[in-house]
Amino acid sequence: MSKLLEIALGVVTGIGGFLEAGSLATAAQAGAAFGFRLVWALALGTVCLAFMVEMAGRLASVSHHTLPDAMRERFGIRFFLVPLVTVALVSFLVLASEIGGVCLALQFATGVPLRWWVAPVILGLWLFLWKGTFGMVEKGASLLGLVTIAFVVGALKLGPSPAELAAGLLPSLPGHDPAKYWFIAVSIVGASVSPYLFYFYSAGAVEDGWDESYLGINRIVAGGGMAFGGGIAAAVLVCAAMVLHSGGIQVDRYEQIPMILSSPLGRWGFRLFVASLAIGCFGAALEIALALAYLVAQGLGWRWGESLQPRQAARFALVYTLALPLAGLVIVTGIDPLKLTIFSMALTALSLPVTVVPLLVLMNDPQYLGDHTNGWLGNAAVLAVSVVACVVALVAIPLQIFGG
Amino acid sequence: MLLGRDVLDQQVIDVAGHEMGKVDGVGLELRDGEPARVAFIVIGGTTLLWRIHAGLARWAERRLGGEGHRARIPWQQVLKIGVDVKVDVKAERSRALHWERWARHVIRRIPGS
Repeated sequence: MSKLLEIALGVVTGIGGFLEAGSLATAAQAGAAFGFRLVWALALGTVCLAFMVEMAGRLASVSHHTLPDAMRERFGIRFFLVPLVTVALVSFLVLASEIGGVCLALQFATGVPLRWWVAPVILGLWLFLWKGTFGMVEKGASLLGLVTIAFVVGALKLGPSPAELAAGLLPSLPGHDPAKYWFIAVSIVGASVSPYLFYFYSAGAVEDGWDESYLGINRIVAGGGMAFGGGIAAAVLVCAAMVLHSGGIQVDRYEQIPMILSSPLGRWGFRLFVASLAIGCFGAALEIALALAYLVAQGLGWRWGESLQPRQAARFALVYTLALPLAGLVIVTGIDPLKLTIFSMALTALSLPVTVVPLLVLMNDPQYLGDHTNGWLGNAAVLAVSVVACVVALVAIPLQIFGG
Repeated sequence: MLLGRDVLDQQVIDVAGHEMGKVDGVGLELRDGEPARVAFIVIGGTTLLWRIHAGLARWAERRLGGEGHRARIPWQQVLKIGVDVKVDVKAERSRALHWERWARHVIRRIPGS
C-alpha cells in the first residue's frame, strides 16, 4: 500500500477511532458542568496520547517488539505482572463501558431497555473478531466512526466565542464544586490516554511488519490522528457547554446527553448522536477486546494475530471470547453505564504511571531503540502528565465517591 | 550474552516461525572445576510460578502432583538469539503447546473457527 494512503488511513483512524464512551461521556460532563473551563484537560490528555502512541509505534518499528513483549523481556515476569494485571483490569472495565455505550445507543434508537441489548451486542462484537481481520476492525470501525464529525458540525453551528474557548486552554480553578472539577479533569485525561490504545497500535504495527522506514508515517499518524481526534472530543465539549451549561442543565441522567446534538441539528442531530455513540463504542469495544487478547498472548508468549484463523491462535481467540461476555455481565447487573464509564476513566488516570514508567524506560534504552531513543520533550511531557493525573486521581476519586 | 537479559523471558519461536511460549526458565549444568553452562531452556508448566512466588509454585505443584506441562529444550537446539529465541523444534508436538492444543480443542467446536 502506498505510504500516502497509509498516512491518510492512519489519520482517519485517529479521527474515527477517538470518540468512544469515555471521551464522549467525560467531554459532555465537563462541558455541561464547567463550560469551556476544562478544555485544557482535553488538550493535555490529547498531547500526552499523541506522544505515547508515537512511542509505541516507534518501539514496534525499530525493535520489532510489541509493548507487552518488550516489557516482559526487559523487566522480567515479576515486574511485568504489575502492568499486565493493572492494564487488564482497567481495560476490562473500559470494555464494559463501551458495551454499555452501544446498548445505550440502541436504547435511544428503539426504546427497548439497554440490558436487553447486551447479548446481541456481545454476539455482534464477537462475530466481528471471530471472522474479521485486523484491517477490517481497524479501518472499518474508524471509517464508519467519521460520523462523529457531526459534533464538529454541531459545535460550528452553535458558534462558540473563540476568545472564551481559548481561555479554556489555560488551566484555571473552578468557581464551584472543586472535587467534581478535578474528578472530571482526571477522567478526561484518563479517557484520552487509555492504555489499550498503545497496545492495540503497537500490535498493529508489528502485525503489519513496520520497520524503520515507517518512522515518519508513525509520527504523522500519531500527531495528526490524535490531534483531529482530540478536536472531535473538544467539539463534544463545546456542544455540551453551549447547550447544557448555558441552559443551566446538569447531566445526571444519560437520557439528557443526546440534546447536545439534537439542539443544534434538530431531529438529524439526535440520529447522528445515536449513530456516533453506537459506532464509536462498538469500534472501541472491538479494539479493547483485541488489545486485551494481545496483552495476555504477547505477555505469555502465545501465538497471536487477528488475521489468523481462531484455531491457529486458539488461546488468543479464547481470551476475547471469554472477555466479551464477562464484560457484558457487568452491564446486565443494571449498573449505570454513564457512572461506570466516568469511573473507569478516572481509574485509568490513576493507573497511568504503572503503564507509562516502564514504557519510558524502554523508550530510553538504546538496546531496543538504537539511535531512536526518546528526546527530553517526550519524556518530560508524558511523565509529567501521567504523574500529575495519578496524584490528582488519588485525591479526587475518594472525594467523588465519599463526598457525593 | 547475559542469561537474564538476553534469554530469560524472551519469546521462543519454533522452526516454522510460530510462537511457542516464553523462556520461563533456564537450566544450568554445574561442572567440576569449570564454569557452569546452560544445559536447556524451559517453557511452561510451573516454571514461571517459581520465579513469581516460591510458595505459590509449591502449592501449585502439590495440587498438580507435578510440574505441569513443562517443555525442556536442549541448548544445542537453540538456533539464534535476537529479537526472539529461535529453536530447532516443532512446536506442534511440544509439551509447551499443551494448553494451546486444549484451547484449540475447545475453539474447534465453535463454527467458523
